[in-house]
Amino acid sequence: MTDVLRILIAPLVWLAAFSAVYGVHGVICGQGIETMPRALLVGAFILTIGLQVAVLAALYAPRFASPSPFVRFVSQATGWVGLVAAVWTLFPTTVTTYCM
Amino acid sequence: MNALQRHRKLDLVWASQPGFRGWFSSVNHTDLGRLFLVTAFFFFLIGGLLAMLIRTQLATPGSAFAGPEIYNQIFTMHGTIMMFLFAIPTFEGLAIYLLPKILGTRDLAFPRLTAYGYWCYVFGGAMLLASMVLGIAPDGGWFMYPPLTSSIYSPGINTDFWLIGITFVEISAIAAAVEITVTILKYRAPGMSLDKMPIFAWYALVTALMILTGFPPLILGSVLLELERAFGLPFFQADLGGDSLLWQHLFWLFGHPEVYIIFLPAAGVISTVLPVMCRTTLLGYGWIVAAAVALAFLSFGLWVHHMFTTGIPHMGLAFFSAASTLVAVPTGVQIFAWIGTMWKGRPELHLPMLHLLGFFVTFVIGGLTGVMVAVVPFDWQAHDTAFITAHLHYVLFGGFVFPMLAGIYYWLPHVTGRKRNFRLGELAFVLIFTGFHVTFLAMHWIGLMGQRRRISTYLPEDGWTTINLISSVGSFVIAIGFAIVILEVILNTASARRGGRNPWGAGTLEWAMSTPAPSYNFASLPHVTGRDPLTDDPKLPHALARGEGYLATPGRWRETLTVDIATGQPDFHVIYPGNTRLPILMAAVTGVFFLSLLLKFYWTVPVAVIGVAVLVWRWVWALGRTEDLPAQDIGHGIALPNAASVDRSPGWWGSLFLLTANATFFGSLLFGFAFLWTVAPGWPPPVWFTPSMAELALGIAGAGVSAVAVRMAIRTIRQGGQPMFAVGLGLVAVLILVAALGLLMLRAPSPDQHAYGATLLVLGGYGLFHACLTALMFAFLAARISRGFTSAARRAEFAIVRLWVDYLAIVGIFILLMAHLTGVTA
Repeated sequence: MTDVLRILIAPLVWLAAFSAVYGVHGVICGQGIETMPRALLVGAFILTIGLQVAVLAALYAPRFASPSPFVRFVSQATGWVGLVAAVWTLFPTTVTTYCM
Repeated sequence: MNALQRHRKLDLVWASQPGFRGWFSSVNHTDLGRLFLVTAFFFFLIGGLLAMLIRTQLATPGSAFAGPEIYNQIFTMHGTIMMFLFAIPTFEGLAIYLLPKILGTRDLAFPRLTAYGYWCYVFGGAMLLASMVLGIAPDGGWFMYPPLTSSIYSPGINTDFWLIGITFVEISAIAAAVEITVTILKYRAPGMSLDKMPIFAWYALVTALMILTGFPPLILGSVLLELERAFGLPFFQADLGGDSLLWQHLFWLFGHPEVYIIFLPAAGVISTVLPVMCRTTLLGYGWIVAAAVALAFLSFGLWVHHMFTTGIPHMGLAFFSAASTLVAVPTGVQIFAWIGTMWKGRPELHLPMLHLLGFFVTFVIGGLTGVMVAVVPFDWQAHDTAFITAHLHYVLFGGFVFPMLAGIYYWLPHVTGRKRNFRLGELAFVLIFTGFHVTFLAMHWIGLMGQRRRISTYLPEDGWTTINLISSVGSFVIAIGFAIVILEVILNTASARRGGRNPWGAGTLEWAMSTPAPSYNFASLPHVTGRDPLTDDPKLPHALARGEGYLATPGRWRETLTVDIATGQPDFHVIYPGNTRLPILMAAVTGVFFLSLLLKFYWTVPVAVIGVAVLVWRWVWALGRTEDLPAQDIGHGIALPNAASVDRSPGWWGSLFLLTANATFFGSLLFGFAFLWTVAPGWPPPVWFTPSMAELALGIAGAGVSAVAVRMAIRTIRQGGQPMFAVGLGLVAVLILVAALGLLMLRAPSPDQHAYGATLLVLGGYGLFHACLTALMFAFLAARISRGFTSAARRAEFAIVRLWVDYLAIVGIFILLMAHLTGVTA
């Protein structure tokens, strides 16, 4: 099961972070939060990227990487998917208007 | 023992009952897989006939063929049947039939659950068909948006049929998903490590996990909308703290992954059939696995792209537009891997290959229009037009129907054991392919000209007449093509010549048996050393028939073995239950529950619930034994312990994945609560919950003590003792939690006055249901101990109960905190 988790972990982190950032955005707009909303959203974006980089690094590290070459390859590929997805899908936090 | 003697002995143990009786008592995956597929195609025919009616209506302007009320029912049932009663069950049927064979084992993990799922599907589908025959079918469109479907605007029973019938059918999907997941992870041939799994199994695994996490939001939405319609709990009424957009979120949290739940199994068929048609191996196996996983996850981040026109802020739109474009990348990886496979092989234009080529053309066009509608400004123009209808048909017909037709022709010799000698399929392919593109290319065009989807008629001055007529003619050409497919399948099944084993020269294990498949699949189980065992060793089928594999000596039981998930090393010996009518009986009683809700016979609801509980008790009780089983010899000098002697038994794995679906349901409920609180108009509520620290403390203590008690019980049983005290303590602790949750429900603000009270009631009810279920489990353990069914070597049930108790403790504490702390903060 650990090998299956290695394959799933990075996209799972992306999905959780993506939903969380969308939720933060909803709270900011729904509750009319005016204290540095952009900073909050960009901070969440940077935190997500940091998390994805950490997961990817772990998937490459001998301590956490799978002993199976196949699982190592697939888990690292999905690790990159998580990182690219985080950068691409949450990039709008830096440029678009947030509650219009 | 020679091969024939072995076959006779195994068949005696594994075969379903002969004749008509066998239909109702079979738990055999081959029989049930075939039944699933035949039933799904029966529904496909009905859905197809409804499509013909839609196109007849739209063929001419001002058509009087059907009035708007009937037309609404027709298009709603067309979408509902195709999505819920054809596409998903076809995947289930194919996986149920194929997986044990392709994985090199004898049956699925939980044979009775397979049968229960099938009968739930049949009864739920029959409910929906009955509504159509009676002229009271659902009429709110297949995504059932409130407020149109609320009791104010749809007061009839039509919508209830959809909400209750589909929830009933979804039991089948969840059951199949649990079954498929555990089977793929644990029930494989020895030696089949993750990197040697057939690619279809990877796709089925990803799809099953998606069903487990994708379907619960829709089940929750259906429950909430039915509660609103039946009892006035205002989850979707804006004036009482609800929000109709909540339905759209819950529906599309399911609805978008659903598209990939339909596509991925078809991609599994393509990845299996294409290399065989090209006389080569699949290019980029690892890349394809990674792409399938990526696609599954990304598909859960797209749901809002169905809601671009609902007034969501720009940043929200940009998130989901970005995710929608990104999903094209892993899809492209798969497409290029398949093109590469064709490039490196020598493609032969057999009939399955024709359908695969049809898939490529159609699906790529559908994918490209998908990228178009992912772009927000384009979507604002095209939303709810016939362009969207055309796009979704290109994706679903191209991405599911063509690959499934390829699969039908590829595995038909396996199912029938006969050679295809009527060459009607090629003509059918030409008609279906041509008819499809005539119908739906025209529909793109008419959509861009402004024709809305779901309109029952239009005026001659609109200028849509010719294109609609062309589209309708195309749809009838498709219908003729499918009629020929059905004719050919019937002719082949009934009268074609017997065929040889492995007619395509494939490398996967399903062809390593005689066809049609015997009840036990393999006379002895293979040891796998590569991804294409039959290519590696063409004599493997004969060696297995001679009993040179594992479990070659037929015993008294239906038996197989499980393996370590990663390495494929054999770990446990499993004994299956035999033929039984329990699944159909339980599905019927489950049906009484749903029918009672539908017809508002509420006095029969508790009767049905008690009936299901009694049958579940009997279901689990039948698995036990009162003596320890020694390690079983599986051949090749290996003896394995029985799966009931360990903590991580098949039932534990099944519970784990069922709880995964359950947790998604609970998570969706929390999302709904947070959404209403932060976004819905009409908040704060007029009355808050009055917190009680005594009730909160009592409930938390009950949850904590039950979790400790079950651990004490496990420690005692491992040491050879009888843990009656710990089980009794756990039962009392759970009953205390029952009381705390019951008080929460009783004291919640009036649920029909505001969505806050309604949400607390549902949260409390969810917790109470699980607490009662767990109390029943403790009572079951107590009965098992007292009857001598437990020992250190028969302790699997304790670990399963621990999973449920831990889950209850977490959600119970969460629910109590949510209710009491919201009251405190208010």
